[in-house]
Order: sequence, then structure tokens, then C-alpha cells
Amino acid sequence: MSARLFVPDVGVAQQASVLGRTNPLVKLGIAIVWLLGLGLTVDVRPPAILLVVALAAGVTLGAITPAALGRRIAPFAIAAVGIAVTNLLFSNHNTDPLATELVRIGPLRVTAEALAAAAGLGMRIAAIVCIGAVFTLTTDVTRLIDSLVQLGRVSPRFAYGALAAYQAVPKIVDDLTTLRAARRLRGLREWHPRLLVGVLVRAIRHADQLAIAMDARGFGSGPRTTYRPVAWIPLDVLVSGSAAVILVVALLLGR
Amino acid sequence: MTTLDQAHRTGNPPRTDAWRTRDILVTAVIGVVFGVVFAYWNFVWTVIAPSSALPPIQAFLIYGVWLVPAVLAPSIVRKPGAAVFAEMVAAGVSTVFGSPWGPDVLLSGFVQGAAAELIFAMTLYRNWSLPVLGIAAVASAAAAWVHDWALYYADADLTLQLIRAVAMAVSALVIVAGGSYLLERSLRRTGVLDGFASRTA
Repeated sequence: MSARLFVPDVGVAQQASVLGRTNPLVKLGIAIVWLLGLGLTVDVRPPAILLVVALAAGVTLGAITPAALGRRIAPFAIAAVGIAVTNLLFSNHNTDPLATELVRIGPLRVTAEALAAAAGLGMRIAAIVCIGAVFTLTTDVTRLIDSLVQLGRVSPRFAYGALAAYQAVPKIVDDLTTLRAARRLRGLREWHPRLLVGVLVRAIRHADQLAIAMDARGFGSGPRTTYRPVAWIPLDVLVSGSAAVILVVALLLGR
Repeated sequence: MTTLDQAHRTGNPPRTDAWRTRDILVTAVIGVVFGVVFAYWNFVWTVIAPSSALPPIQAFLIYGVWLVPAVLAPSIVRKPGAAVFAEMVAAGVSTVFGSPWGPDVLLSGFVQGAAAELIFAMTLYRNWSLPVLGIAAVASAAAAWVHDWALYYADADLTLQLIRAVAMAVSALVIVAGGSYLLERSLRRTGVLDGFASRTA
């Protein structure tokens, strides 16, 4: 795990794809509505359907290579399994005398109903991970911020301020590397919460300089002109409509 | 005791709720730094979560790391909205760098930031003492607790929910409130916070 982690891998092909051209706010909206929809059921089928749809759409409509998708998703399969196991062991159903018992180890009783619910929740997390990966791998950050300002009516001072700060990520990662090297040189443990102070000091200095530079250029002092206009396109309607239908179908099939 | 002269020398600005560009950038950059921290933390948590399925304490004792920007940033810039803004930026950055939770981070980030914000708003953004930071941290953890109950631990029994509640509250007090307090103090000593209202002002 190195600085490579902090390179967003949205390439030209992904940006030119159908999902890449879809407005970021539409994709964000879909991701959040699907998420809330999944919150309505612990059945294993709806999240499984949404997971498959998201992955298929990512590869076909989003031009994401399966390898890139796999790299994004794989590390977090463990989290899905971990949370599913926690739900399984601590399930409400395990204390229900009417539930079908599967295993009993001492005081621990695992029931079929608990297993079903845990599988559903594990699948829900896997679906969230996959939907998130497809969103990130097809969405350019600058376009997201432009859309937030122009279509989402978010304050440009805050949105572009955040974008300016976001550009500092490579610098922050470099600082972290330097500070870790310095600690190693002094024979100290490389990772320590104290690293944060050094990183924050340099980041805040950087923010101050940015703020002065931006103020000097009249940032937020009057009405803005638009360099990269963003508008709703028919594709946005098509994608959101399809996503709504898919969610409804997935939820109905899970009944 | 702060004299007028001291306040002048340290450059404490008059208290106002309006955001300067500097306030926006500093809040955002704190969010970004924690977005980077989250990207590492997501891996740490992923490794710890399964090993702590029984009992699931460790994973929730370190949960607080995700809530720090919601308390640290407002305690430095002291503007309405700083908790939500910093936490959302952190969530956004960690989403870009492949947080496993995807856009759900934005949802969690919003509820976590908003809960801390509510506490700071109740003091009219005037009280930044350690107890207030503690209450805000616990409020933020409580919001996260409810969110995760509905989304991730929907089938778990009351025992687990209580274990999570206690561990997350402890985590919030130690890591979020204590950590923010210490970080703010260390940062102030370095001088980078000159021009921001200090705790004694």
C-alpha cells in the first residue's frame, strides 16, 4: 500500500463511456437511492441482483476493465464476510426458540433464519462495495464538483475550495512519506498518531497559501463565469429511469 | 486571561460567523488529510473487523478515527457548518480513493457531521471546551451507530448493539474528543493556527 493507492483510476475510456458521460449527480443519486432501497430488505436476492447489474453495467457501459474492478473490490470482500459473521453470531433469531437450529456450540446457537439474514446483509455490503466501485471508477472528480455547483446549487466557494484542497492529495501523501522516513531515520516506529501533526501543519500552511492566492484572484468576490458548462442530457433521464426500474424489480423479486 | 494587547499580537480576528476563504480552505484541507487517513484506515478496519466478530469490540474501539474531522475542524475554524463540511470532504476523498463503502460514506459522513454540528450549534458556536467536544463526539458516534444498525447490523440482537454503543462512545471520547483537543493544541503551538480564534480568546 503506497502512493499508488492515491491515484484515481478514471481513464479516458471510462470518461467517454455511457456511464462516464452520465452526470455524476445522477450516478450519486442512484447509488444512494439503491442503498436506501437495500435497507428495506434483508433478503439475499435484491442485493445480489443489484450487485450483478452494477458490475455488468460497469464493465459494459462503463468501460471498466474487470482487472481494475477486481482490484477495487477484492480487499473488501473480507469486510462483507466479517460483518455477515457478526450478524450471524449475534442474530435476533438465535434466541428465538421457534427458529430452526443449525449448530449449537455451548451457549452459542446458530439458526437457519439467522444464516439467511446474515447472508442477506453480507450480500448487501458486497452490493454497496460494487456499486461504489462502479461509481468511483467512472466519475471524474472535477466534473462532479462542476455538476454540484452548476446543477446542484452547491455554494461555489465551498465546492471549489474543497476541490482546491483535494488537489493537495499527492502533496499530503508525499509529506507523509517524508515524515515516515524521518521517523525511521531517528529509530522511531514508522507509524504513529504523531505523524498527523506534521502532516496537518504542512497541509494547513498549504491551505493558507492557496487561500491567499485565491483571494488575490478575486475568488468568491462576485458572480462567476463558467469554464466547463455542465447541463442535463437525455442520457441522464434514461439512466435514472432504468436504475429506478431495476431497483423496483430487484425489490419485488426479493419478496 | 487574555488582554487586548495579547489578542492583538496573536491576531485573533473578531468573532464572526462569516467564512473567510482561509476558513474554507483550512476546513477543506483538514477533511482531505482525514480522507487520506480514512483510505488507510479502511484497510485496517477491514482486517480487524472479521477477527473481532467475537467479541466485536476492537473494531468499534477504533471507529472514532472516522469521526475526527467532524470535531477537529470546527474546533479550529469555529464556523457554522464546519463539522458537516469537513466530514463530507473527508468522506468524498475516501470515496474517490476507493472506500469499500462507496457513496454510503457520503451518507454516513453527512449524518456524523450533522450530529456534531447540532451540538456546536446548541452552544451558538461559542463554547469549544473539552466537555463540549466530548458531547459532540458522542453525538457523532450515536448518529453513526444508528446508521450502521439500519444498514449493516440490521439483524443483530440488543447485546451486540449495546457492545457497539459502549465501544463507539469510548472511542468517540478518547479518539475524537481527546484526539482533536490534543491535535488542536499541538497545531496551535506550531503557530500555523495564528489568526484563528484560540481557546482562551
